[in-house]
Amino acid sequence: MAYAYLFKYIIIGDTGVGKSCLLLQFTDKRFQPVHDLTIGVEFGARMITIDGKQIKLQIWDTAGQESFRSITRSYYRGAAGALLVYDITRRDTFNHLTTWLEDARQHSNSNMVIMLIGNKSDLESRREVKKEEGEAFAREHGLIFMETSAKTASNVEEAFINTAKEIYEKIQEGVFDINNEANGIKIGPQHPTTNSTLSGNQGGQQAGGGCC
Amino acid sequence: MNFFRGVMGGQAAGPQPSGAETIQKLCDRVASSTLLEDRRDAVRALKSLSKKYRMEVGTQAMEHLINILQTDRSDSEILGYALDTLYNLICNDEEEEQDESEDEAMQKQSDDLGAQFTEQFIQDPEHITLILSLLEEFDFHVRWPGVKLLTALLKNQGVQVQGIILVSPMGVSRLMDLLADSREVIRNDGLLLLQQLTKSNAAIQKIVAFESAFERLLDIITEEGSSDGGIVVEDCLLLLLNLLKNNSSNQNFFKEGSYIQRMKPWFEVGDDNSGWSAQKVTNLHLMLQLVRVMVSPVNSPGASASCQKSMYQCGLLQQLCTILMATGVPADILTETINTVSEVIRGSQVNQDYFASVNAPSNPPRPAIVVLLMSMVNERQPFVLRCAVLYCFQCFLYKNQKGQGEIVATLLPSTIDANSISAGQLLCGGLFSADSLSNWCASVALAHALQDNLTQKEQLLRVQLATSLGKPPVSLLQQCTNILSQGSKVQTRVGLLMLLCTWINNCPIAVTHFLHNQENVPFLTAQISENLGEDERLVQGLCALLLGICIFYNDNSLENYTKDKLKQLIEKRIGKENFVEKLGFITKHELYSRAAQKPQPVFLSPEQMLFDHEFTKLVKELEGVITKAVHKSSEDEKKEEDVKKTLEQHDNIVMQYKDLIREQDAQIQELKEQVATMTSQSEQMQTTVTQQLSQIQQHKDQYNIIKLKLGKDSQSQANSQADSQVNGLQTEELSQLREDLEELRQQHTLLQTQLSDKDALINTLRSETAEGSAASDNTEMLKELDALRSQVHSQATEIDQMKTERQELLRKAEAVSSEAVSSSDGSLDAAKMAEVESRLAAQTSETERLKEESKSLSKSRVDLDQQLAAATSTAAILQTEKAQLQTEVQESKKEQDDLLMLLADQDQKIHSLKLKLKALGEPVDDEDDLDARDQTDDDEEDDDEDED
Ligand SMILES: Nc1nc2c(ncn2[C@@H]2O[C@H](COP(=O)(O)OP(=O)(O)O)[C@@H](O)[C@H]2O)c(=O)[nH]1
Ligand SMILES: [Mg+2]
Repeated sequence: MAYAYLFKYIIIGDTGVGKSCLLLQFTDKRFQPVHDLTIGVEFGARMITIDGKQIKLQIWDTAGQESFRSITRSYYRGAAGALLVYDITRRDTFNHLTTWLEDARQHSNSNMVIMLIGNKSDLESRREVKKEEGEAFAREHGLIFMETSAKTASNVEEAFINTAKEIYEKIQEGVFDINNEANGIKIGPQHPTTNSTLSGNQGGQQAGGGCC
Repeated sequence: MNFFRGVMGGQAAGPQPSGAETIQKLCDRVASSTLLEDRRDAVRALKSLSKKYRMEVGTQAMEHLINILQTDRSDSEILGYALDTLYNLICNDEEEEQDESEDEAMQKQSDDLGAQFTEQFIQDPEHITLILSLLEEFDFHVRWPGVKLLTALLKNQGVQVQGIILVSPMGVSRLMDLLADSREVIRNDGLLLLQQLTKSNAAIQKIVAFESAFERLLDIITEEGSSDGGIVVEDCLLLLLNLLKNNSSNQNFFKEGSYIQRMKPWFEVGDDNSGWSAQKVTNLHLMLQLVRVMVSPVNSPGASASCQKSMYQCGLLQQLCTILMATGVPADILTETINTVSEVIRGSQVNQDYFASVNAPSNPPRPAIVVLLMSMVNERQPFVLRCAVLYCFQCFLYKNQKGQGEIVATLLPSTIDANSISAGQLLCGGLFSADSLSNWCASVALAHALQDNLTQKEQLLRVQLATSLGKPPVSLLQQCTNILSQGSKVQTRVGLLMLLCTWINNCPIAVTHFLHNQENVPFLTAQISENLGEDERLVQGLCALLLGICIFYNDNSLENYTKDKLKQLIEKRIGKENFVEKLGFITKHELYSRAAQKPQPVFLSPEQMLFDHEFTKLVKELEGVITKAVHKSSEDEKKEEDVKKTLEQHDNIVMQYKDLIREQDAQIQELKEQVATMTSQSEQMQTTVTQQLSQIQQHKDQYNIIKLKLGKDSQSQANSQADSQVNGLQTEELSQLREDLEELRQQHTLLQTQLSDKDALINTLRSETAEGSAASDNTEMLKELDALRSQVHSQATEIDQMKTERQELLRKAEAVSSEAVSSSDGSLDAAKMAEVESRLAAQTSETERLKEESKSLSKSRVDLDQQLAAATSTAAILQTEKAQLQTEVQESKKEQDDLLMLLADQDQKIHSLKLKLKALGEPVDDEDDLDARDQTDDDEEDDDEDED
C-alpha cells in the first residue's frame, strides 16, 4: 500500500519487560502470555494515519540481553524512533534506563525520538515504580512518557502513534533531513503533498498488520 | 592478477634459501627504515614475492605488514601494497584456473596455508577492526584490496570473522556502504564480500536488511537489466537469497516493504525470442528460487499465505503461468517455474482457483492442468519435469476440496465429456499404462485428489472402467487390485497400494467395497505371510497397512470380514508379531524419512521414486493405531466402545444445556422487547393521564364557580340538599373503589400463589441440580458447567437491568398518581382524590410487596447461580416478572378507566347540579363548554335578575 512516509523504529529495554508483546499487540492486536525469547532482532510492520497521511511503521524488536547488546547497537543509527521500555513491576528494569539511554544517545542520530514506556500497567498490585518516577525521568531526559499494558492493549496504539506524531512534527519543522534514509525516514512513492488532498476522508488509524 | 601469474608460472620447486634471506632483509627495512619511500619499496617487493614465497612471506612479514596498516595510514600507496600482500597470503583460490598440473595435494597445501595465515591474522580481533576502518578510506588503492582481503578472510574463517565484525561498532553498516560506491569494481566486489558476510548468520542478515539492502539490490538488478543483466545480477540475487533463506524476520520485512511487487517484472520474459543465454538461465533460476523462498512449505503457514496473496494480487503468479504456457522456454527453467507455481498456489484457495482457470494458448484452448498432466504421464519427458508436474498437481489439490471435486468429477459417468481430454482420463491412462513411473505418478496424483476428503473417496467408488470389448465394465477399485495381483513392477505396486490405503482410510464404505471382492483379503494375507526377498519388503509392509486399515475402519457390515474375523485371520495365517514386523517395514525403508522431510517429490533417480510425502504422514498416523488394534482383544474394544458411548452421552447433555441457554437467550430478548413496548405504552398512558388531569382541573374549576354561585344565590336548605346528593354520589363511588381494591387483593393473592409455585419449582430444580452434579463427575462437563454458569451470570445481570427498568416504570407511575392526587384539592373532590390516593398507596405497597417478593426470589436465584438448574428458574422468574409487568400495565389501564369513570361521575354530578340549579330557578347552560360562556352567562343572568 502506498504511504506518505516510512519511519523505522526500534524497541529497546531489559529482557522480559514486554517489548515483543508490545510489538505483537500493535501489529496483530493480540497478547501472547507465553512468548519466545527474542533472539537478536525481530521485524514487524503496520500502517497508521497521522494528519490524514498514511505512515508506514517498520519496527525492529530487539533482544534485551547483554550478549545481544552489540547487535542491537547496529540498529540505532538507522532508526527515527525508539521505544525504551521498562517494567513497572521490576525496579531493576527502571534502574537500567540510564545505561540504555546512554547507549542509545551514543549510537543513534541526534534527532531520534525516544518514547519512554512503563509497561505492564495492568499489574497495579505489583507496581514497584510509581508513575511519577517515570514522568520525572522522562522530563529530566527530554523523553515522551507513557504507561502501557501489552496485555490489555491500554495505551499501546498511543505509544507508537505519539512517537510517530513527534517524528512527523520534527519533519514539518525541518529538523530531520528526510532525504537521508540513514535517519530512518523515507518518503513514500506517493508524494505527501499530492496525497494530502486525497486523504481528507481517511479518519482513523489503519487497523491490523499485513497490509499491502 | 596477471602480474602474479608470471611469478608463479611453472614453479614447483621448494623455497630457495636466498628467498628467505631476501624476505628477512625486506622485513627489516619495513620495520626500521625511517623513510616512507624506503618502506614503501620494501612492501612492494614483499608483495611481488608473496606468491612465490607465500610460506616465507607469511611467517616472516605478517606482523610488519599489519604494523604498516596501523602506522602508515596517511600513505594510500603503501597501504595498498600491504593489503595486496596480505591478500596473496590469505587467499586460496587464485591459482585454480591457471595451473592445471597442480594436483589436489598442492591445492590442499595452499588451503592449509591460507587457513593458517587467516588464523594468525584474526588472533587479534583488532586486526579485523583495522581492516574495517581502512575500508572507510575512499582511495581506490586501499578500499579495493581491503574489500578483497576481508572477503578472503571470511571465506577461510567465516564464523569467527563474522563474530568480530558483528560486535565492532557499525561494522556491518560500513560494509553496506560499499554497495553505494560509484566505482563498479568496488560495488561488485562489495557484493561478493556481503555474500560471504551474510552466509548462515541470521543476525548479520537482519542488520544488512535493516540497512536497506533489499532496496539497493533490487535497484541494482533493475539497472543492470534484470534477467538480461550480467553476473552482477547473479551476485545480487545470491545475496538476496542469503538474506531471505530461513530468515522469517527478513522475509516479513521483504513482504512488508512491498518488494514482492518488484519481483513481478523479472518474469516478463514470456514469448519474446531474445534468446536464452547461460547467464539469463542462471539469473532466472535464482529469481525463481527467491520466489520459492518466500512461499516455501517450511515457512510458517501464515507467512506463506500472505506472500501467496500478494503474489496473486500483484500479478506475479499470472506472470509465472505465462512462462509455464510459453514455448521455447529451456527445460530447466520450465521445470523450476512449475515448482515455483506449485508453491505459490499450495494451500491458497484463491491462487488454486486461478491456476485451475489458466488455459494453454492452444486451439482449442486446453486447461493448463491437462497440458501439465500430459507431460507427467509421458515417458519421453525429462524425469525432473515429470516430478515437477506431480508436485504442481499435489499443490493444486492441497487443502482444496473444490479442486479435488473437480478432478474426481472428470471420472464420473455423469460428467464425462467425451470430446476433450480430461484430467481424469489422463490419470486413468497413467494408472494403467505400461510405464511404471506413469503408474506411480498417476496413483499418487489420484491419492491427492482423495486426501482428507470423504465425499470424493465415496464418489470415486462409482467409477467404472470399460476394459475390453464385450466384457462387463469393472470398477476402478477392482481394476487397481487386479493390477496389484498381476505382479507388476515394485514401483507400480507401491503406487497402487498407496492409492488404495489413502482411498479406504477413514472411509468404511470404501473398506466394505474393498473387502467385498473375495480375492482381496486372501491376496493380502498371502503377500504378508510369505517370506519374500529384500525388494518385496516394502510391498509387504504396504499390504499389511492396507489390511490394517480394513480392520480399523471396518463397520462390520460384511459378515465374513468383521473386525474380529479379520483379526483372527491375522492371528492364524500371519501371526500378530509377524504382522506388526511387516508393517514396520514401511518406516524402516531407507527412502521413507527422506520423503517425510518435505512435500516436494525429489528423487535422485527414477527408481527411487517410491514414497509420497503425504503418504508418509498417513503411515505415521496409522502405524501405532493399527498395531494397537491388532493386539487388542474384542473385550477391550467393547470397553472402548462403552467409553465412547458415555462420552457421547455427556456430549449430548452438554448439548441439551446449550440448547436451553439458547432458548433462554431468546426469551430474554423477547422480554426485553416487551419491556420496551410497555415503556412506550406507559408513556402514552402518562400523557393521557396528564390530559385527563387537566380536564379534571377544568371541571373542578367550573364546579367551583358553580358552587360559588350556588353559595351566593341559593338557600342553605337547598345547599344541604345538594350536599346530601353529593354525599350519596361519594358513597357510590367509594363502594366501587372498594370493589376495585378487592379485585386487586385477589390478584395479589393469585400472584402470591404463583410465587409460591415458583418457589416450589425452584426447590425441585435445586434438588435436581444437586442430583445432577453428584452424578456427573466428568471434568469436561464441569468446564461446560462453568461456561454455562457464566452465561447464567450474564443473564442475571440482564435481569437486574430489567428490574431497574421496571422499578423506573413503577416510580414514574407513582409520580404520576401522586401528581394527580396532589393537584386535586378541591373540597368536594378531596375525598374522592383521597380515595384514589389510598388506592394508589395500596397499589404501591402491593407493588412494594411484590418487589420484596421478587427481591427474595432473585436472592434465591443468586444462590442458585452456582447451580446449573438456576438457568431454568431464572427463566421462570423472568416470566413472573413479565406477568407482574403486565399486571402493572393492567393496573395502569384500570387506573385510567377509573379516572374516566370519575370524569363521567363528575359530569353527571355537574349535570345534576345544573338541574338542581335550574330547579332553583337559576338559568344554566347545558353545554359542556362552560368556561367561555361563564362570564356572559353571568352577565345575562344578572341582567335577567335585574329585569326580574
Ligand atoms: N501482565 C502483563 N504481562 C506482560 C505484559 N507485557 C508482557 N508481559 C509478559 O512479560 C513476559 C515477557 O514479555 P516479552 O514480550 O517476551 O518481553 P521482552 O523480553 O521485552 O520481549 C511475558 O511472559 C509476557 O507475557 C503486560 O503488559 N502485562
Ligand atoms: Mg522479546
